[in-house]
Amino acid sequence: MSRSIVVTGLGAVTPLGENFSISWNALIAGRDAQAPLDLFDTTGCRCHHAASATPPPLTDLPAKTIRRLARASRLAIPAAREALASAGLLDAEGLSTLRELPFSVATTAGGMALGEDFLRRVLARGHSHRSPLFSRVSRYLPQQQVLDVQQALGFAGHSVIIANACASGANAIGHAADLISVGAADCVLAGGFEALTELVFVGFDCLQATSIDRCRPFDLNRSGLLLGEAAAFVVLESAEHAQRRGATPLCHLTGYGHTTDFFHLTQPKPDGAALVEVMRAAATQARIAPAQIGYINAHGTATAVNDGVEATAYGAFLGDALGSTRISSTKAAIGHTLGAAGAVEALFAIEALRSGRLPPQLNLQTPIPEIAPALVGAKESSSDMQHVMSVNLGFGGSNAALVFSRSLSP
Amino acid sequence: MKIELAVIGQGAVSPAGVGVDALLHREPAPASVAALGQPDQPWPVLRVDLKDPAFARWQREPRLRRASSMTFFLVEAAEQALAGVSPADRAETGLIVAFSAGCITYSRRFFEGIVRQGMASPALFPETVFNSPVSHVASVLGLNGAAYALVGDETAWVAALKTASVWLQKERVRQVLILGAEEFDPIVLDAYRSVRWLRRQTSANGFLASEGAAGILVRRAGPEDATRITTARDGFIYRTKKEAALAAERLLSESDPAKPCYQSAQHNWLGSLEKRVTENRPLAPVDDRPYLGEAFTASAAWHILRALSCLNDQVPRLLLPVWGLNHQLGLLELETRKKSEFPRQDADDRLF
Repeated sequence: MSRSIVVTGLGAVTPLGENFSISWNALIAGRDAQAPLDLFDTTGCRCHHAASATPPPLTDLPAKTIRRLARASRLAIPAAREALASAGLLDAEGLSTLRELPFSVATTAGGMALGEDFLRRVLARGHSHRSPLFSRVSRYLPQQQVLDVQQALGFAGHSVIIANACASGANAIGHAADLISVGAADCVLAGGFEALTELVFVGFDCLQATSIDRCRPFDLNRSGLLLGEAAAFVVLESAEHAQRRGATPLCHLTGYGHTTDFFHLTQPKPDGAALVEVMRAAATQARIAPAQIGYINAHGTATAVNDGVEATAYGAFLGDALGSTRISSTKAAIGHTLGAAGAVEALFAIEALRSGRLPPQLNLQTPIPEIAPALVGAKESSSDMQHVMSVNLGFGGSNAALVFSRSLSP
Repeated sequence: MKIELAVIGQGAVSPAGVGVDALLHREPAPASVAALGQPDQPWPVLRVDLKDPAFARWQREPRLRRASSMTFFLVEAAEQALAGVSPADRAETGLIVAFSAGCITYSRRFFEGIVRQGMASPALFPETVFNSPVSHVASVLGLNGAAYALVGDETAWVAALKTASVWLQKERVRQVLILGAEEFDPIVLDAYRSVRWLRRQTSANGFLASEGAAGILVRRAGPEDATRITTARDGFIYRTKKEAALAAERLLSESDPAKPCYQSAQHNWLGSLEKRVTENRPLAPVDDRPYLGEAFTASAAWHILRALSCLNDQVPRLLLPVWGLNHQLGLLELETRKKSEFPRQDADDRLF
């Protein structure tokens, strides 16, 4: 059994805005969200900036509930709510009209900041057995943010939390499509969330993977990534389910591929073979040739190793079509949002397909020659695109690619 | 969700020892470890003996030179479950690993470095990522298929089984190795103590912190496959004990009351709830199985293996509730088929 899948709702909170449309308009306008980081102390780090988001107010939740939420939940709840609202799946009370709604979610750190706080207090040995802070330790685990979203929006049902590092968000959306495709679900809320935390920030900083300059994906002078935070969700449905309830499809999800690159825990194989394979798998499932892809939202972290390998892989995958397919990494604008990256970047690719407007490659000075003809310039548009792709890589060799299409290919 | 997964391989690492036989029959010996925040008060815990000769070959693997103890549990359990599988078939095997806390020791050590010394080790950070052990296992054992790290409480196993079923239906892989793993670190004692989950030596209330891994190799069930997992249900979410009670009643009320139930909530706060909702049901006949402590996704895997071992001609089907400790409840249905239930060859074949 294989059913066609449509996207009917989008929602996001990003460093560029508290909802998806604000984020998209800022992205297209060429804004980037890099700013000094004040969420925690960065003394001793090389890098002191990031792309942090402003959690929108959660006016319909009790203050006590809000106080207990991890920052990650403060990002995830409004993003999920926006996705359900745009799909027409929220009732007058702001709750899901589907009380049983499968939930496919990605994150890498969950509510880690709560865990950090707990550990800091344990190490200080200033705690007491009854400290209410300690009862919050269980809230740092990712399933607690999933539960926060489920309870805030009034739905239950199957949930799956995928933690495939920075490819997780694409995996979560692709897995949701798989569930629908085989008939295991009719409608799935899918996406990812990530909040900036000290452990992760210092982790990338001590690997010298963060930049002390601007984030410059696909630039010869790139010097590292910009860390960010975000939450983004899509509503995926079978085409029949969407039609039955009168929902308007935004586009089709036509291809999903995922592979594992064994070369190294933190570096892709230099020839990009696994990345080429994952893009081919996604395109094959979508029944399209690489040249039919109008835009690729690239992983493009701006680290020395990643972008070079990625450029090589796009050359191998696209061949002569490299110049006609447009490519950009939106991490220059919103930072690397880790577990949320695959989801928020998929949303940007979908909106590029729908609007014909292309996210520009920001902060570019001297492009990597192999990919230079493909990189999106300022105010570029392409109204006749039929297919777009979103690509992600992660620690552990996780690779994932998604294809979104205006309509199904014959 | 109806699934039709044939269980074709099993592997386990637990405080009782290496292997499924130890899991079923051997009594583990508790050790005493103090919580980080309370160094003068030791707690009984159940640990895996990493000096067991079974781990020696993995400790020589270059890829695993910086790996966490949990990775060694995983790779050993995985290799047991894959026994006899050819390299060619391994290349078409998917891998799903369920975690609750993940590489907690490296995460604690890394952050402790930040707090105490104001610096952290770059060698540790990549190993703190949830899917690093998954990548190690896939690389060392040559599993080239799809690979997911899933996170959650014990019910992450239900999600893993559903995911495997989907991959097999989509023909993304030929078979799937599903594992659960956790490792012990003193910080978990502080965490469990704070939510009153731990058991003192003099009391039966609360659990012993534990560690280990276990897994099963599954494929789409064919007519000749005897041991199967046929149903995987989850989504019975709760935040409070009251919500958990309602979820448990609903979970069991939606299942066949005639099928025996395997009780698995040992010494945790869900134990009394399990007793209540299963009191009017037939129970799976379980021998005195040694108590292995609580290790979340690893415990869930141990219970699956132990429940599978209960299946026989007299108990061909049973229900295995999956008691998630901090998100949701789930349920699996397991069955074994007698040879007489296998489909017969057609008449023409039998003539010749």
